Amino acid sequence: MYAGPVQDLIDELGRLPGVGPKSAQRIAFHLLKLPKDDALRLASVITEVKERISFCRRCFNVCEGEECELCLDTRRDPTLVCVVEEPRDIVAVEKTQEFKGRYHVLQGAISPIEGIGPEQLRVKELLARMDAEGIAEVILCTNPNIEGEATAMYLARLLKPLGVKVTRIASGLPVGGDLEYADELTLGRALEGRREVEA
Amino acid sequence: MRVARLWLTDFRNYTSVEAELAAGLTVVVGRNGEGKTSLLEGIGYLATLSSFRGVPNEALVRSGAPRAVVRAEGERESRSLIVEAEIPTSGRGRVLVNHQPLRRSRDLLGALRITVFSPDDLELVKGGPAGRRRYLDDVLVSLHPKHDALRVDVERVLRQRTTLLRQSGGRLTAEIATTLDVWDAQLVEHGEALVAARLELLQRLEPELTKAYAGLAGGGQVSARYEASWPMDGGLAAALAASRANDLRRGVTLVGPHRDEVALGIDGLPARTHASQGEQRSLALALRLAAHAVVREVTGEPPVLLLDDVFSELDAGRSHALVELLPSGQAVLTTAGPVPEGAEPERVLRVESGVLS
Repeated sequence: MYAGPVQDLIDELGRLPGVGPKSAQRIAFHLLKLPKDDALRLASVITEVKERISFCRRCFNVCEGEECELCLDTRRDPTLVCVVEEPRDIVAVEKTQEFKGRYHVLQGAISPIEGIGPEQLRVKELLARMDAEGIAEVILCTNPNIEGEATAMYLARLLKPLGVKVTRIASGLPVGGDLEYADELTLGRALEGRREVEA
Repeated sequence: MRVARLWLTDFRNYTSVEAELAAGLTVVVGRNGEGKTSLLEGIGYLATLSSFRGVPNEALVRSGAPRAVVRAEGERESRSLIVEAEIPTSGRGRVLVNHQPLRRSRDLLGALRITVFSPDDLELVKGGPAGRRRYLDDVLVSLHPKHDALRVDVERVLRQRTTLLRQSGGRLTAEIATTLDVWDAQLVEHGEALVAARLELLQRLEPELTKAYAGLAGGGQVSARYEASWPMDGGLAAALAASRANDLRRGVTLVGPHRDEVALGIDGLPARTHASQGEQRSLALALRLAAHAVVREVTGEPPVLLLDDVFSELDAGRSHALVELLPSGQAVLTTAGPVPEGAEPERVLRVESGVLS
């Protein structure tokens, strides 16, 4: 245990995701050694994001103001919605420049172990958007793991009866890679999801 | 992979040790508690990334040290291969092949395969069904690393489903029912795949088991039958639906691959309850020999045999029969007593307080 404020700092850092007690201690002592200006700049950006940034009231992406840039962009197709787990997944999909629709951030995936059920996710808000925005297709872009698959299946079962088209992103091989280096799970999935070649 | 050289650093009671292993049989002699088994455990760690004694990885690190390192140099398909694993007391370990770190530790599985014989194997026959399920699943992983992912997925789905059952407090609201449907579907998908793999494996194992048992015990008809915890012709989905009310009330998943049994029999009687101690011991050895034969046949490469003090428990007849039945290939055997009769070691290592000579 250290003197009051130092221990407080270690405790706060230790609450961050991926930071254990040892890392928390290391970061805390790094911050102590830092020139005052640098440390205060970190403190002020934290204050700033908390004051200025919130979640988009439509899609729950991070945004400044009430709605995010993507939702406000009129060139985007409002009838097509891509459902992701976290705002960082939007960044990943945006990088492809292949998707011109809107997004919906669930803010997690169904995982009883972590105490996350559908009611902790932005599911009701997604359902409310269907009619209100005249959405015709929902692309389920949750992670290809147990929790992501379960979440996608859950949403598909809710959405299909509403008469919208529901799709799931394919899983497969990285482009530009060699088959020989693909792990067998991915390759197996890619074989399952094969499609006919247009000739 | 055949192991030519093994290094252990801060592993169990070893500060630092280097051992050269023969291409055939290496015998490790020493009194109890000197570190014979730890040597086998080190080799085993590189094969499965866990201890075959079922202890958590932290327990493998010499007390006071921050991490243990296990390294083996060997040969695979006539190319030399160096595999190395770091085992930290906390956090994730690192695995390197030919000095290159692997992105995922799981990718190491399959580089080195082992068959372990230990005195605890008697539990395979005498103990509960969990040990026999683990036996099948371990052999599956040895046959193909994809089975490791399958096993992990099934365990994860089960944990999620069971947690949901408990959270429901026994009440089936519409909300719980919809979420439960999703976990059921996941369990069906992964669970049925695991069971199908187990059934296929068991079919391969049975003739080998019969052959090995006959060699050890001189006769007797052995059977190994998969007994699913649900009526298999109806499918797991139907069974989960039928069991839902009970599952909710008890807060556990009552049907599925985690509740299945492999019923072992000798001459038509259940081996667990009706066989003599000697017959049970022969059957346990036969299970290991059968697994070894199947892995060798499917992968085209004999696993390294690790024989941990098994001969001390056997009478002269069985001990002799086991030596006769041991497949060719690399083997490492530990003993506190004399070298078993009939065994022809190419190398003998002596262990005393974590030092080899």
